Amino acid sequence: MSAPAVRRSRGGAVARWTFLGLLALFFVVPQLAMARFAFQNVPVVMLDSSTVLQGWSAHRLIEALAEPELWVSARTSVVLAALAIALNLALLMPLAVLVEVYRPRLRPLVTAVTLLPWVVPPIALVVGVAATFRQVAPWFLASPLSLVPFYALWAMPFTYRALDAGLRAVNARTLVEAARSLGASLPTVLVRVLAPAMSAAIVASAGLTGALVLGEFAFASLLLKNTLPTYLVNYQRGAPQAGMALALTVMVFTAVGMAGVVHLLRRRGLGVSTVGV
Amino acid sequence: MTRTSTNQRTDGQHNDMATIEMIGVRKEFGATVALADLHLSIGSGELVCLLGPSGCGKTTALRLLAGFETPDAGAILVDGDDITTVPPRRRGFGMVFQEYSLFPNLTARQNIEFGLKVRRAGKAETAATVERLLTMTRLEKHASKFPHQMSGGQKQRVALARAIATQPRLLLLDEPLSALDAQVREHLREEIRRLQQQVGVTTVFVTHDQHEAMAVADRVAVMRDGVLEQIDPPRTLYSRPASAFVAGFVGTVNRVGARPEPDGWRVLGAHVPAVGEAVTGTAVVRPEQLAVQRANGTPGVFATVTGVSFLGALTRLTLDHPDEGPLVADLIGPEADGWEVGDRAIARVRADAGSVVLQ
Amino acid sequence: MVVIGHAFAPNGVPGLGAMSEAVSGPFRSPFRNSIVLSAVTAVIGGALGLLLALAVKDLTRPRWLRPGIDAWCSVASQLGGVPLAFAFVAALGTQGVVTKALDAIGIDLLGTGFSLSSLAGLVVVYLYFSIPLMFLVVMPAVAGLRETWREAATLMGASPWRYWRSVAAPLLVPPVLGGVLLLFINAFSAYATAYVLDSSGQLVPLQIRFVLQGNVITGEQDLGYALVTWTVALLAVGLAVMTLLQRRAARWAQA
Repeated sequence: MSAPAVRRSRGGAVARWTFLGLLALFFVVPQLAMARFAFQNVPVVMLDSSTVLQGWSAHRLIEALAEPELWVSARTSVVLAALAIALNLALLMPLAVLVEVYRPRLRPLVTAVTLLPWVVPPIALVVGVAATFRQVAPWFLASPLSLVPFYALWAMPFTYRALDAGLRAVNARTLVEAARSLGASLPTVLVRVLAPAMSAAIVASAGLTGALVLGEFAFASLLLKNTLPTYLVNYQRGAPQAGMALALTVMVFTAVGMAGVVHLLRRRGLGVSTVGV
Repeated sequence: MTRTSTNQRTDGQHNDMATIEMIGVRKEFGATVALADLHLSIGSGELVCLLGPSGCGKTTALRLLAGFETPDAGAILVDGDDITTVPPRRRGFGMVFQEYSLFPNLTARQNIEFGLKVRRAGKAETAATVERLLTMTRLEKHASKFPHQMSGGQKQRVALARAIATQPRLLLLDEPLSALDAQVREHLREEIRRLQQQVGVTTVFVTHDQHEAMAVADRVAVMRDGVLEQIDPPRTLYSRPASAFVAGFVGTVNRVGARPEPDGWRVLGAHVPAVGEAVTGTAVVRPEQLAVQRANGTPGVFATVTGVSFLGALTRLTLDHPDEGPLVADLIGPEADGWEVGDRAIARVRADAGSVVLQ
Repeated sequence: MVVIGHAFAPNGVPGLGAMSEAVSGPFRSPFRNSIVLSAVTAVIGGALGLLLALAVKDLTRPRWLRPGIDAWCSVASQLGGVPLAFAFVAALGTQGVVTKALDAIGIDLLGTGFSLSSLAGLVVVYLYFSIPLMFLVVMPAVAGLRETWREAATLMGASPWRYWRSVAAPLLVPPVLGGVLLLFINAFSAYATAYVLDSSGQLVPLQIRFVLQGNVITGEQDLGYALVTWTVALLAVGLAVMTLLQRRAARWAQA
């Protein structure tokens, strides 16, 4: 424990890299296993170490992509995601601006409130809302679009935090005061000044919301709606390997999309942790 | 390890003052040479400032003294004992860092106690030492505050108290004032000097601020590119800089042409004695060595005043000289009154200026 | 609100019948399972996530590594769901690739009683998103441990152990506990993964669905509401404690 050369002992380095290597294995192996299930034209029972190189093909994925029902549920999911993003931004953007610019003292309270959806597990949320609507407006739950408020609510912590971080990063208060002193109305300020200045935060929050909605299973399954994830589960029951191919594809797309969002945030100097958690 | 010089201080405190020597110390980081062959000898109870621009090796020298780095060549001696390979925790040194070095989970008092507790000092002794240090640093009222409840100046006073609590043989200060406001900085550097003299601890103070170095140090060591350019008391450094770099670093200078004359040099139309050897025929003249007079029809070469800043005790003129280019002159008293931009003036080296440095 | 009303007033009559029934008899075991599953996941995931953060703290050498791990963790922490469950079926299921590979070198994974629908199996799957989540939560705190603190402590004669005990550990405890609680909450409410791996499982979220989808008998429905109320109460307490701990950590971070 004297000079740096001694502090970083060889044993420590070995332990550190072993640990990192094992973790990497833990994270990569399931994906590779899934890739084998998905893209090897080999019966599942035969998938052992002797068949690693056999029969790689994408035909199962193509098969799965040919199902018309996939596209129906995928479209539902995309529409849901778009609506949830729109609803979330429409509600939270003014709220975030209001709090940041006009009532900064309320910020801790609002931040705490926006965290609430985390405490309420999806299942509890569904139960609560369903119980309410069954008495008030039973028709509401019939449409797949009834999922939109759930998703908006559920994604609220992520969206709000991303927006809040963005507002602070662009120094929103000064911007708004400057724009107002030049005679701009509040809606004008919102649309023409703040929105462009914090486009990164908006894209990020939209991306996060989108990724969450596209992967969301609990609400849809409980309310018996057909979205992409519920379709995946049903489809995989009938066609295990093709189902995996589809799931892997969806996961890779989501991961790449989210990594893109993270990258965008990083370039704008926003930490992942300020947005994600 | 033997401790040779134990002094009885007026406040009844025993202190181990030590002499420090760095002999031919070299340190490289990859391809960069941070320190090339540094020889530095510091007397017991002395405060030496390592001064230089960033990247000059002053911080590396300090970290080598602390033991956070090991030299590639050379040795570090304390009272004649080689401590080059002694790990930091056994060196018995104290250190104050730039910023953020207080343990945030401990109060001011607990921070100061830390080293004493680690060394298992007695309870009564610890308490007495901490009280004395709190008084000395005027922190009595803040003893139970956490770092985040204190101002920058208060935090650095705690850091100072913490560093000297264990009665170190050597106190290392790594730009301790650089994160503070100008006013606090000036105040605290006086306090550091006072404490250092009161405790009598041998001290190495790293800074890039020449005023700070000149104000606190017994001797200032000016460093450049890993090499020690000059080490001297502040006055000597200012009046007889060994090189133009040193002259430029420890104050504002004008570089003007110099022509040899019998017994000296002709600089800006005046005869001056000079130190150094004229290699390029350039003299280094300080702003206060220049006299500026209004050009009232007298013949000569005229400079034009391009700026006047009133700095309180003195007024600084910037001039544009047809032969020498821009010049800076500091004026005091009646000479300083009534200048305006655009005035024409004669600038020359004062008769009583003493010597100038040649390059 | 409606839910809580129902929970405390089964059949419109105020009373604690449903609330107590929800944690007794057949429902005691889902609660116990869920709590054990979430707690084990939170503790193991917390420890591994913290270790990961410590391991990469001053790792500068492959320059892509830190940003790579950051990005991967923010993606993986949200990967809990249907595809993740499939991936583990492919790896560790009865016909899983890893299961067979282990079998080939003489380790009979299934013979040891391991199954993805068992608690142990679910823990392994949940760790997949818990470790990255923990990493994201504690990394700022770990990165905030300043080198000067260690150096200051060392110069004052402290051993590495002493530095950890007196400085680093106290600073890391609040964010680490906060992170562990977050993992607990996250694991407790995870639904999709558990549903795919074991749809009739003895876990609270699955049981709530079970009770409510078969809601022919009115009493059952109130029971479901009571289950929800318990769950929310449990998680709310967790969140409150977490917020408290993180506020404390944030205060220290200012210094």
